[in-house]
Amino acid sequence: MTALDNYVAPTSLEQAVVQLQELGEVTILAGGTDLMPQSHAGRVKFKRTLMNIRRIPELRGIVREGDAIRIGALTTISEMMAHPLVREHLPLLVSAGDHFASDQIRNAGTVGGNICNASPAGDTLVPLMVLDASVELASKPDDTLFRRSMPLPEFFVGPGKTRLAPAELLTAVRVPIPPKGFVARFHKFGTRPALDISAISIGVAGVLKDGKFSQVRVAFGAVAPTPVCGCATQEALEGKRLDAATIAAAAKAAQDEVHPISDVRASAWYRKEMIHNMTKRILEDVSANH
Amino acid sequence: MPETIQRDSLIGKRITKLDAPEKAGGKTRYIQDLDVQGQLYGKILRSARVHARIKSIDTAAAKALPGVHAVITAADVPYQRPIGVAKDHFPLKTDRVRSLRDEIAAVAAETEAIAEAALKLIKVEYEDLPVLADPNDSLKPDAPLIHPEPHGATAKHDHLKQAQGIAYRGKPDNIAMTFDYAQGDVAAGERESDVVFEDTFHLHYVTHCCMGVSGIIAEFDPSGNLLMYSNTQVPFLHKREFAEILNMDPARIRIIQPPIGGGFGSKLDIYPFEPITVFLAKATGRPVKLVFTREEEFLASPTRQPVILTLRSGCRKDGTLTFRTVSTLHDNGAYTSWGATTPFVMMQTISSLYRVPHCLYHTKAVYTNNPYAGSFRGYGNLQATFAVEQHMDMMAAAIGMDPLAFRLKNAQDSGEVTPQGMHFKSCGFKECLSTAAEASGFLAKFKANEADKAKPGRFKRGVGMASMLHVGGGAKIYPSDGCGTILKMDDFGSVTLITGASEIGQGSETVLAQLVCEELGVPLSAVRVINNDTEITPWDVGVHASRTTFIAGNSAIGAAKKARGKILDAAAKMAGLDAADLDLRAGHIVEAKNGTVVMTLAKLLRQLHFSDKAELVVTSFYYEPPSKHQDKHFKGDVSAAYAWATQVVEVEVDTDTGIVRLLKVTGAHDVGRILNRLGLEGQIEGGIVMGQGYALTEELMVENGVVRNPGFRDYKLVTAPEIPEMDVRFIETMDGEGPQGAKGVGEAPAICIAAATANAIHNATGVRIMALPFTPEKVYRALKAKDQHH
Ligand SMILES: Cc1cc2nc3c(=O)[nH]c(=O)nc-3n(C[C@H](O)[C@H](O)[C@H](O)COP(=O)(O)OP(=O)(O)OC[C@H]3O[C@@H](n4cnc5c(N)ncnc54)[C@H](O)[C@@H]3O)c2cc1C
Repeated sequence: MTALDNYVAPTSLEQAVVQLQELGEVTILAGGTDLMPQSHAGRVKFKRTLMNIRRIPELRGIVREGDAIRIGALTTISEMMAHPLVREHLPLLVSAGDHFASDQIRNAGTVGGNICNASPAGDTLVPLMVLDASVELASKPDDTLFRRSMPLPEFFVGPGKTRLAPAELLTAVRVPIPPKGFVARFHKFGTRPALDISAISIGVAGVLKDGKFSQVRVAFGAVAPTPVCGCATQEALEGKRLDAATIAAAAKAAQDEVHPISDVRASAWYRKEMIHNMTKRILEDVSANH
Repeated sequence: MPETIQRDSLIGKRITKLDAPEKAGGKTRYIQDLDVQGQLYGKILRSARVHARIKSIDTAAAKALPGVHAVITAADVPYQRPIGVAKDHFPLKTDRVRSLRDEIAAVAAETEAIAEAALKLIKVEYEDLPVLADPNDSLKPDAPLIHPEPHGATAKHDHLKQAQGIAYRGKPDNIAMTFDYAQGDVAAGERESDVVFEDTFHLHYVTHCCMGVSGIIAEFDPSGNLLMYSNTQVPFLHKREFAEILNMDPARIRIIQPPIGGGFGSKLDIYPFEPITVFLAKATGRPVKLVFTREEEFLASPTRQPVILTLRSGCRKDGTLTFRTVSTLHDNGAYTSWGATTPFVMMQTISSLYRVPHCLYHTKAVYTNNPYAGSFRGYGNLQATFAVEQHMDMMAAAIGMDPLAFRLKNAQDSGEVTPQGMHFKSCGFKECLSTAAEASGFLAKFKANEADKAKPGRFKRGVGMASMLHVGGGAKIYPSDGCGTILKMDDFGSVTLITGASEIGQGSETVLAQLVCEELGVPLSAVRVINNDTEITPWDVGVHASRTTFIAGNSAIGAAKKARGKILDAAAKMAGLDAADLDLRAGHIVEAKNGTVVMTLAKLLRQLHFSDKAELVVTSFYYEPPSKHQDKHFKGDVSAAYAWATQVVEVEVDTDTGIVRLLKVTGAHDVGRILNRLGLEGQIEGGIVMGQGYALTEELMVENGVVRNPGFRDYKLVTAPEIPEMDVRFIETMDGEGPQGAKGVGEAPAICIAAATANAIHNATGVRIMALPFTPEKVYRALKAKDQHH
């Protein structure tokens, strides 16, 4: 049982950040699909105030801002998947949504919640990383609204741990519109097709031009305390043709650079094997279809 | 009023379950939805250690918490008696805990939250004992005893020991139960064999995962009568057992079953939470409700029996089976429930699914500090079939026969009496084999996959078959396997069927109503079924062993026939006709030969009502027909009828990941006769999915006595997109004793899937895996190991 002293539901960003600053001990509630099960299981203790952020209009909506797309923190997974801007420019996020939980959870769970929950198996994190996304944060430490932004990889510290300051709110995630020739793949590997937590996940993105793969970004989920960059794999691919030798070398690099743990979902050995096999499969698919 | 009515029948039609509207509409009131005026909430403190001596329990702080009405430990209920199949289990633990689920104390409080908070205030001091997590370790000569003879400080056991026959007795070793069965001479069988295989199969823990978690409400009235709202599958047996445990007069115990959110065998035994709730009700003088959390349901419910099974079997070159030797090690867990008795069913499959002249079977169920196993749909048969049907494929391959021909050669026929003594009065086994094989194109696919196996490619297709035999006409586990019926007719032509047989979601209500309609010619809407109150319903042995349709169905038919006789006699007298020339159709009395309406049933019943001799209530009982009971060597018949099935499973194996997908299941089931086609399809399809979970995804992971995945996040049930295409065929053998020819089918569909899947994976990849479940990682590992051998 958790004793809550206080419940607030601010109706503007301004009000929210002020309250965060003044009340200090606040638990933020978005869709609640992580928070509620975690609190029931006793893994998360509610702080003195529960803040429902769902009435803050500034946290909603998906818009184009210059050469980037800004996805409001409160965007649900379903809304993200259905939005024309996302479908046109960021189809990778649609395919990530396709393997995310179930319809009921997608209708409630938000992009901001997925990011702030900072699970190494969070299914928007790896795709957002290879899309070079950054998060937008807001707070009001004094009289002025303070906004900052941060590349996604820097945001994650550990499972459930981020660089979000105590009185800060994640307002949006900003994704640059990919250049011409951009290809991207996300593969979530779980043991069943629906309602599964990733045993591993892989994101690969880059620009294919004249048969060569460049500006390569690779990220892995569920193999470390946070989603991680597949930097050695990127290197093995950068500027290369996606031929059998390159693909084999990249898959090998991927397998060698991850250091997963064994848990109830899979052993470390199997995770490494799957990183190898799935990286290979993704690259073969890219090479065959472009 | 129509002038003529033709005969119509509901048998074999697709009939929506009677309780479907309320269930689909979310209106069903399960135990969770039931509240009794003045009730308190019960919660149980479970052990924090796997195996330990309890040094002290301090409940003072919990008792002092406002809102708490009682905190009890074993010391507060010196009258408690051991429960369970072997009476080796005190509801509240006295001097030691033997597994993590063990009940140490219980609280009754104004709210669940207060009860929860009180649990946290109870202080328990433990002294750890060595943990036995592997049944093999329990058998070692120097293994610590899990149930040592209580002595010394625990003198209170001595008075328990003397108490009226049921006593807790210590055990000199860790062996909970053994079973031995022999027929013929296996050594001679082995000498005749051209091919012999011996392998060890590992069967894992799974649990029932009933959507409705366990719960009970217990309440004493001022005269000391006990009323329990309980989800039990065996209300009448429990009435007696509760009386023994609580040292009460059974006549003072009443059990009402609210609609039950799933049973599958899990509610066949009494578990500690039930007497504990009664103790709390007694201690507080208030009704007490105790409902499990989902986590508790995973931790403290029984499991399917895990088994290590070594099978040695042989055949001749011509395909004749020669012998089977089986020895199994059952991990009994810390206490004995029905799981320990699964050998009773396992040996039937081993001795009698096929014709095998020589058999030797031995089981040891040994105590460990793991969760304990109970009864679960299929009752040991999934485990036995998994081993037997893999060896069938292996032997067939070794002598160059195809799996179908090899099985057909050894399959049972009707009329056969097996060396164990089972008498197969109706048997559609060979028809099941050929129907399933033909409908699925088994042989062609089997050969094509064999040929494709060595070719490169990531995805491999495989097809595998397995068959089963299971009781389908009751089961002579208890001295009697009977069911009573009271049938009452009102003035409006409506029928109330009062049956001892419980509905646990299997659809028995609907089938029983149909059988009554068939005799009385009334529409289904005219029948009400009452089946959930021991004070009202006549005796029944309980819902288990796929027996309800057969036993309760025959009982209901008996009552309906009696009523029909009375009605027709009265109608004949009134109309001046011969009763033999009359029939009952669509709520009317008609002339049998041309359907000419004589009068409405309602009118006749009203007239009967006012006559002096008429009774509108009839009763009947059905006991399974006399047959030879098994002797102490397990020889003899166990059921009035047997169900048969063959299932063909088609898989696709992803060799990059080890993921096995079930593409299609083709089943052929000897069901005797189809009563409710929709209900039957539901049973078969649900059973297939349960079998699929057992084969591929479900596993209760127990490590050193600790359940590592007590929740649906990591205990993986099959989800909708994984469910394969199904083609289910029914073989109607019209069993002579069955109700309208039907046989039991509840357990049958879950039994073959794991075995057939194992054979299909082998057909696809050449890899044979003898341990369940076939998780991607396990399959991938096996594929890798095979690659490395090449
Ligand atoms: C059955 C089930 C299946 C699931 N399957 C998947 C899956 O397949 N893949 C997957 O990735 N996840 C899955 N999840 C997890 C969860 O649904 C997602 O992580 C979801 O995106 C969380 O969003 P939410 O809005 O519900 O977050 P909440 O639970 O409301 O919040 C999560 C955390 O983030 C914080 N937070 C939320 N929004 C903000 C903000 N704007 N600023 C600062 N802090 C914030 C909260 O305080 C909390 O700590 C599943 C959950 C369930 C229950």
